[in-house]
Amino acid sequence: MIELRELTDAAQKAFPADTLSPGRDASWELVAEMGWLMIRLPEELDGLGLGREASTAIHYEMGRVLSSAPLIPAQLGLQTILASETLASRGEWAERIAGGEYVPLHMLPTKLETGSDGALSGTVSGVFEADMASAVVAFLPGGYQIVPLDATGVSVSERAIWDPSRRLFDLVLDGYTPDPALAIADRDRSIALHDALAPEAHLALAADCLGGAAAALDMSVEYMKMRKQFERPIGMFQALKHRAADCKIRVVSSEAMLWGRARDETVSYVQMGALKTHAAECFQWVTEEAIQFHGGIGLTEEHQCHLFMKRAMLNLQLCGAPDLWKERAGRAALAALA
Amino acid sequence: MREEDTLDALRTEVRGWMEKNAPKDWRDASRTQDDFVATQRSWFAKLVEGGYAIPHWPADWPGGGRSLAEQKVIYEELARIDAPRLLLSFVSTYHAFATLHECASAEQKAKYLPRILKGETWCQGFSEPGAGSDLAALKTKAVRETRDGREVYVVNGQKVWSTMAQFADMCLLLVRTSNDGPKQAGITYLLMDMKTPGVSVSPINQIQGDEEFAEIFLDNVAIPVEQRVGEEGKGWAVAQATLASERGLTLMELSYRMRGALWRVAELIRKNGYENDAGVLRDFGGLVTQVDAVCAIADQFLDNRIKGIERVGDASIVKNAYSRALRAYSLLGLRLGGMDEQYLAPITFGDLNTGNWMADFMNSYAWTIAGGSEEVQRNIIAERMLELPREPKTWVLA
Repeated sequence: MIELRELTDAAQKAFPADTLSPGRDASWELVAEMGWLMIRLPEELDGLGLGREASTAIHYEMGRVLSSAPLIPAQLGLQTILASETLASRGEWAERIAGGEYVPLHMLPTKLETGSDGALSGTVSGVFEADMASAVVAFLPGGYQIVPLDATGVSVSERAIWDPSRRLFDLVLDGYTPDPALAIADRDRSIALHDALAPEAHLALAADCLGGAAAALDMSVEYMKMRKQFERPIGMFQALKHRAADCKIRVVSSEAMLWGRARDETVSYVQMGALKTHAAECFQWVTEEAIQFHGGIGLTEEHQCHLFMKRAMLNLQLCGAPDLWKERAGRAALAALA
Repeated sequence: MREEDTLDALRTEVRGWMEKNAPKDWRDASRTQDDFVATQRSWFAKLVEGGYAIPHWPADWPGGGRSLAEQKVIYEELARIDAPRLLLSFVSTYHAFATLHECASAEQKAKYLPRILKGETWCQGFSEPGAGSDLAALKTKAVRETRDGREVYVVNGQKVWSTMAQFADMCLLLVRTSNDGPKQAGITYLLMDMKTPGVSVSPINQIQGDEEFAEIFLDNVAIPVEQRVGEEGKGWAVAQATLASERGLTLMELSYRMRGALWRVAELIRKNGYENDAGVLRDFGGLVTQVDAVCAIADQFLDNRIKGIERVGDASIVKNAYSRALRAYSLLGLRLGGMDEQYLAPITFGDLNTGNWMADFMNSYAWTIAGGSEEVQRNIIAERMLELPREPKTWVLA
């Protein structure tokens, strides 16, 4: 068992803090080389055999450098395929993914039209980095299915987003006939699969948020030590240092909850959603503060502040908006305290 | 047996004991301060008898030697059953205990610790009118003399914000024995019997109507030299042990009690028909998660302390996270409680469970001000953890 510390050190060496959003394709190769795609798989399946804490540590480090490699959707895609009880080519797909092929999971059901011949038409929005994917695991009317991107009636088109560290694509189906051999699970089982994997997605995203929040705070603190006005570093003013301290309190307490929930196997789906929301709101808060701490330079494209803020705003919406999860958390707590 | 099974067994045991022994009518029974004190004393005695009063003390004390996980179970169950918080013995079981346990002589420990379990209560004589956030600026003066053949410190000065000093038997007292060198270097730590001639206490009327704090006036009070903790002039370091207990274990108890007390907000939501109000549910969900984060940071803090990897500023983070969550908790209760909470409550001591949200809200300020204000904690975090530059020491009126 590799120690967590070693894993973090290796990640920081591979992705040094001074290079934000390093090139996607090179990052992807590095991620695959380090075995992080397979981090949770048992060693007999060529995985690293590590647990939730280890994968959380990696996602934290990826958040720290605003990584553009789509590790989270890739891991979820692989997990979905491996969870299939019916997919005959399961082993073959796993092998292809282990070799670096990118097959992301798109979690949510989408409204698609089914023609009289059973062919599907419509758009599955929000697929990460689909231009480098060979296939997408999508929730079709019959349940999760592998959709090869070279199949007839399948195309992808990019829709530009504000966050420059990630790219989103529409998966466009135009009379696509699903291949029964690529079905992962029926509809009911797919919903159960979704509910089993969604907490993993929340945990990974929460780690991504808090890695990013910690990096944005570090960057701001360094700036406030260096930037001088009124013949002193601006970090000497309580008006700013108290706000930096508030950011620190929020980051550190959110991190404590992140690690607590990563270790705790009994955490519920809703509690993971609440954790992700809490972490994303912390990320948002710190990045908003970071821009204000930096003053005018924080509004320029050449400075890195906006990269953090834009990723934070996107993270906030992923896997369900904050209002949804807060309401669910409130409802669940109310029921538990009956 | 697995750890979870052991904890479940403990929870069942504690719950059974609490159901049988916890006072149920304590709010009605403590409508005057005298009654409040009597309720506190009898509940403390009962907890000592049951073995749940001092789970954080070492194992050679009855009811001590509980693991952190076991302590949390006890605190959650205390809150679940809605038992009164031990306000009167808070300083004696935490601050006095930590100070005596870590810094006092064997004689002092043998003399004072058993008396705490018998119900002796302590107060803290730290802050002064001119020394609040800047505690080391304290001026209460102690001069060493021989009186009637005994070596004593003769103490003159005034202490303020001393919690429940009017009911205390003993006092943890910081005095100045020297004005030379840095201001911290001239501070000495004494244990003072509150019945010593020259000690007078004057309770302070607070915004919530009760007198939780008091002023202590010291007029030629002779304190035997044997009642000094640590060396003369080394009291500042001892005081850190006292304050560390406040920012450590006490906050774990309080955080877990706050989690255990969330049912009070849930009850309000149901009582006032907000079960399907999305806005209220969101606020409640946000609060529940915030409280979970406070418990997580309190856990992590104690883990790090036990492992010896605590960093400067860690305690300040826990304290501010707690005090912010407490404010949010009491504000949500106050908001959802509606008009009911605007009527005066008969008893308003303490936080979290007076039974009146307006009182709880007002009491929540104690945690953002006492024990080092939120602003002082932010300075510690910013300057000593984030290493932002300190403010210039000298200040000249323009």
